[in-house]
Amino acid sequence: MANVRITGLHKRFPGGVVAVRGVDLDIPDKQFTVLVGPSGCGKSTLLRTIAGLEEASEGTIEIGGEVVNDFRPRDRDVAMVFQDYALYPHMSVANNIGFGLKARKMPKAEVDARVAEAARMLGITPLLARYPRQLSGGQRQRVAIGRAIVRSPRVFLFDEPLSNLDAQLRDEMRGEIKRLHQKIATTMIYVTHDQIEAMTLADKIVLMRDGVIEQQGAPLELFERPRTRFVAGFLGSPAMNFLRATLEGSGQELAVRCGEAVLRIPAARADGLAARTGQEVVFGVRPEHISRAHGPARAGLVPLDVTIDLIQPTGSRTYATFLLAGTEVMAELQAHDVEGPGERLQLHVDMNRAVLIDPETELVL
Amino acid sequence: MRRPTLSEWSDRNFRWLLVAPAVCLILALSIFPLLFSLWVSFVNYDFQIPGHAFVGLKNFEQVVADPVARWSLVVTAILSGSSVLLEFVLGLALALALALTATFRGRGVIMSLIIVPLFISPVVVGQCWALMLQRPFGPTNYILSQLLGFDVTISWLTQAPWNFIALIVADVWQWTPFMFVILLAGLSAVPPHVYEAAELDGVGAWQTFWYITVPHIAPMMLLALTFRLLDAVKLFDIIFVLTGGGPGTNTYSASYYLYTIGFTQFHLSNATAGSWIFLVLTVIVVIFLVRRLLKPAVA
Amino acid sequence: MAVARRRRPLRPATVARIAFVGFWLLFLLIPLYWMFITSIKPSSDYLAVPPIWFPDEPTLLHYTAALYAYRGLDGLINSLIIATSATILSAFFGTLMAYSLARFNTGGQHLSFWVLSQRFLPPIAVVLPIFLIYRVLRLNDTHAGLIIAYTVFTLPVSVWMMFAYFRQMPGSLEEAALVDGCTRWQSFWRVAVPLAVPGIVAAAVFAFIACWTEFFFALILTSRNAFTLPTVFRAFLGFQGALYGEASALAIVSLVPSIALGILVQKHLVRGLTLGAVRG
Repeated sequence: MANVRITGLHKRFPGGVVAVRGVDLDIPDKQFTVLVGPSGCGKSTLLRTIAGLEEASEGTIEIGGEVVNDFRPRDRDVAMVFQDYALYPHMSVANNIGFGLKARKMPKAEVDARVAEAARMLGITPLLARYPRQLSGGQRQRVAIGRAIVRSPRVFLFDEPLSNLDAQLRDEMRGEIKRLHQKIATTMIYVTHDQIEAMTLADKIVLMRDGVIEQQGAPLELFERPRTRFVAGFLGSPAMNFLRATLEGSGQELAVRCGEAVLRIPAARADGLAARTGQEVVFGVRPEHISRAHGPARAGLVPLDVTIDLIQPTGSRTYATFLLAGTEVMAELQAHDVEGPGERLQLHVDMNRAVLIDPETELVL
Repeated sequence: MRRPTLSEWSDRNFRWLLVAPAVCLILALSIFPLLFSLWVSFVNYDFQIPGHAFVGLKNFEQVVADPVARWSLVVTAILSGSSVLLEFVLGLALALALALTATFRGRGVIMSLIIVPLFISPVVVGQCWALMLQRPFGPTNYILSQLLGFDVTISWLTQAPWNFIALIVADVWQWTPFMFVILLAGLSAVPPHVYEAAELDGVGAWQTFWYITVPHIAPMMLLALTFRLLDAVKLFDIIFVLTGGGPGTNTYSASYYLYTIGFTQFHLSNATAGSWIFLVLTVIVVIFLVRRLLKPAVA
Repeated sequence: MAVARRRRPLRPATVARIAFVGFWLLFLLIPLYWMFITSIKPSSDYLAVPPIWFPDEPTLLHYTAALYAYRGLDGLINSLIIATSATILSAFFGTLMAYSLARFNTGGQHLSFWVLSQRFLPPIAVVLPIFLIYRVLRLNDTHAGLIIAYTVFTLPVSVWMMFAYFRQMPGSLEEAALVDGCTRWQSFWRVAVPLAVPGIVAAAVFAFIACWTEFFFALILTSRNAFTLPTVFRAFLGFQGALYGEASALAIVSLVPSIALGILVQKHLVRGLTLGAVRG
């Protein structure tokens, strides 16, 4: 059993910086959990505390039910893949991979067998005699992963392992890591600042900001039902549009007013909002939920007439920007839905998927 | 909680275990002797007379009253001050001369040659200059006579003020490369496009130096001066070989004076008292220097 | 001082530079040359006027006299033993301490400042009481006594050079080793130290040269038994020049190894001279 449970974790650094404040987290056994968030949110610190490279100021860390706060890294049975690969430059690839086993005094024959197996799994067998400086970035990353798998730890830790790779390699390695998890079903905790990595790899996402957890859950849950403005704006690319608006109407007939535009809220989603009529809200809608009007609006779609300001074609899709109540809004349209700037179009805004946010608490309503 | 194993204990205290040996060594052979010498300076420490009677400040008073002691401080100040100043100017000139030249053939050789004196024992440097200056064996007087046109018959090692000049020359010969190396490193760190911008703006050479180069290397200059001065006041080896402190006590530096008191006359308590006074003076100079020279950098 | 890209023939500034450097090199090399020549000049040539710049009959007699009759060879061997031992100890303990300071900031500013300040202690203040203490411990005029003293004497520079070196080594390798299964000691010894070898070698060479050229401590703490090479020069003082050949011979013997070593590590020179405060 290798679930990781964190209770009340605080981490203070000398000099006053508090990297982690009161984090409670349950990481289920055998699942792929991603800690994601902007720089400085505490995700790396949290990971390093689990590894034992940092000592918790307060709180407990349990692995497999055992409290490991006082355990040294080597005694926690975890393996870690670092951002800069951290390969030992003075050792060959084979020795790099087998280093941990040798340090634990495993017999040579067994070390060699395990190294060979790990190399085979990662497709790096021809590289075993080479040295790190002779390898490419992707190869080095594989060796770093090999070093981790060879020990069959109960938890894998990844500290932004793909950040140093170029975009194409990153996509490739992402798939490999996902495949790795499918092959060796072990608890994996993965830190990244890239929300695409988070979305594609995770069984569970833990979104952190300023040392606390903003929201945690399955990727699609965070994406479709964000609880705060931060979560709504962090996940999804391009990011969600946010506009200042006022809530109008009464009872079940509510609408959002943005400048000149009035957008009706579907009755199904109007619960609990009536009390806030007349108040200011933040209206959030994802670019992919604004489309070109082709025919009459279905339920929940609200028509909007706009003048396109700027277009950014990417091949299959075109991102079109327009102004609404003084704010720039981006819509994701099909490539041939729009011609160019200055064009007047009718768009459909999917009000089933939009969110309303309280401007003060930043919570989604 | 079970009792930690040795391995766990040493991991926990790893950082302290690492510094312990060095700290113990320094405590044993630096701090302890200093404290011991402080005690010695307050008693009557003599090999012949048993029992070390407490004598209060008598040793200190004797040292302060000794005219030779006071003169040695003057000598130390003159010698170290002039030497360091000359070394700084010459070192800076050398560094400037070599800093911005592109790599030319032989540059590596010249650099290696220039730094050679730094690795020579000061007694050997003293010996070397004794050979050059000792009448009538040394060629210096001969060379000077040829260059200047008249007969030069200076007794470099035994005649004031020439013996001072001799000591300064030997020190400058050895330690100018010290300034050179540090200042060169500083000059090399100045980004070249600053100079290019200045050239385009039409700034003259002198102003470029004063308003661009100097501010950039000011911290380096301070570093070089402080380090070198703190070393220069300990002047001993060269005096031992070149002049033996003479004629008489004319070229006694503070260290040399304390050496004679302690190891030729064996007035041990006086020597320790004197060395403590010297130590305190050195610390004062350091504090003064560092604070004084820091101000222009801030301004 | 402005960047001189030479499109035209030599500007006066460049001429001045070349002349200045040239004069300096002359100033530098003539005394060394004279010393070398004196070492191979027969004594009869000493008083010649004008001075003889290259003897007709060079001789190696001075070398044999200096090394054997005046025990220069013994001094050399002692220096070798003492300097090597002190260097090993200093490099070892210095590296340990530097690692702790660099990775854990042990003792904060106070500890590092304290170690640094040892470098500037006037030797006279320390050597007197050490002499007295050694008298009691019977360590005067022993190899061990001087080795310990030299170890402490070279520790600050060793610590500071290695501190600067470890600072610019990323710590992730050692952390990887910790997670992989190493204790702190194993991670230090198997990962950090092998990668720090160039720095350790440089620090060791500086320590060696410092011990090789040191005079004051050796003068006071040694006598007939453990005397080092620099102290042998005392034998040549005050003979009104009669022993100049021997003196220069021994000087040449003494400076050749330290110069050779020094040139080998000149890349690290700035770090060594400024105790790592400056990157070379």
